[in-house]
Amino acid sequence: MSASSVTAASGAVKTPGTELPVVTQPGVPFIEIETLRAKEFLPAAKEALSAMIAERGREDLTQPVFNWAGRNSLFPLHWGLACCAIEFAAAFGARWDAERFGVVPRSSPRQCDLMIVNGTVTWKVAHKLIALYEQMPEPKWVIAMGNCATGGGPFRTAYSVVPGVDKLVPVDLYIAGCPPRPEAMLDGILKLEELIRERKE
Amino acid sequence: MEAEFPALVSARLGDRVAAVEVFPGTLGRVRFRADAALDVFRSMRDDLAFDHLSMIGGIDWVDHREVFYVLWSDARRAYVILSTDLPAENPHIESATCIWPAANWHERETWEMVDIHFDHHPDLRHLLMPDGYVFHPLLRSFKLHEPEELEVKTRNV
Repeated sequence: MSASSVTAASGAVKTPGTELPVVTQPGVPFIEIETLRAKEFLPAAKEALSAMIAERGREDLTQPVFNWAGRNSLFPLHWGLACCAIEFAAAFGARWDAERFGVVPRSSPRQCDLMIVNGTVTWKVAHKLIALYEQMPEPKWVIAMGNCATGGGPFRTAYSVVPGVDKLVPVDLYIAGCPPRPEAMLDGILKLEELIRERKE
Repeated sequence: MEAEFPALVSARLGDRVAAVEVFPGTLGRVRFRADAALDVFRSMRDDLAFDHLSMIGGIDWVDHREVFYVLWSDARRAYVILSTDLPAENPHIESATCIWPAANWHERETWEMVDIHFDHHPDLRHLLMPDGYVFHPLLRSFKLHEPEELEVKTRNV
């Protein structure tokens, strides 16, 4: 709809030199409101923010925000290596609903900041686990879920099993159980959120 | 068919077969000479219609090693077991990969677990363990290691 048709529809008299549309009908385009608000409010907000940054430093302001955002949207990378993965899957079902804590499992390590190792890690898969851990962006955390990932579990002395995933990557939190209940996994995630909140950079 | 099977095998394979023993659930356990392995495999597939290799396994009997092949025949609707003994020092046998392609991974597993070398295998490397793993875990001489010791021996390989 061109400007001339707007004025014609509203019945306003079109005089030469005033090409801007005179908007009289109730449907104001949303984009115009946004443009107006940007012109009116943003410079002031920018000035205030610049003053705060100059006063307190950028890290002081952004770090709590990123901390808050990060700990409330932990995206786990899922290592479904054994039966703990069944409990992990149940935790995301309707009954326990882990997504209410902002925990959304992703398929790519590049979108994740939390690695949950749930299962028996063998030496064959060890270097793939390290490679995927290194692909995750910082900051990143690791949860060892279940006895196998914690210390090898009943397969601790086996010839093919890594005796604890902390031999491969730094682990922030261990969840005991064989396998742990979904409540235990959710409790572990909440404990990890507390850890992140208390973290000092 | 079960009664006449030993005679059939003897007629086809002659002195390449030492004996055909009774083995429950199969037509028999054919004990063959390891140096004639490829002839036995080809004859079992082409003449006796055992066209499916079900599995390969190895046993460490300390004084010698045994390698066995479980074959299935769609035409006969029956299993048969091929078995032979190998010396404990440097046990090796001809690969069956050119007869049954399914032998490839089974022979890799048998090699890494009980250290039986398969000659002319197209790709004899580790299947279940990481590359560079130095042990053969299903040998009787293999001892379970303390985790830390195993870690030192298997890391960075």
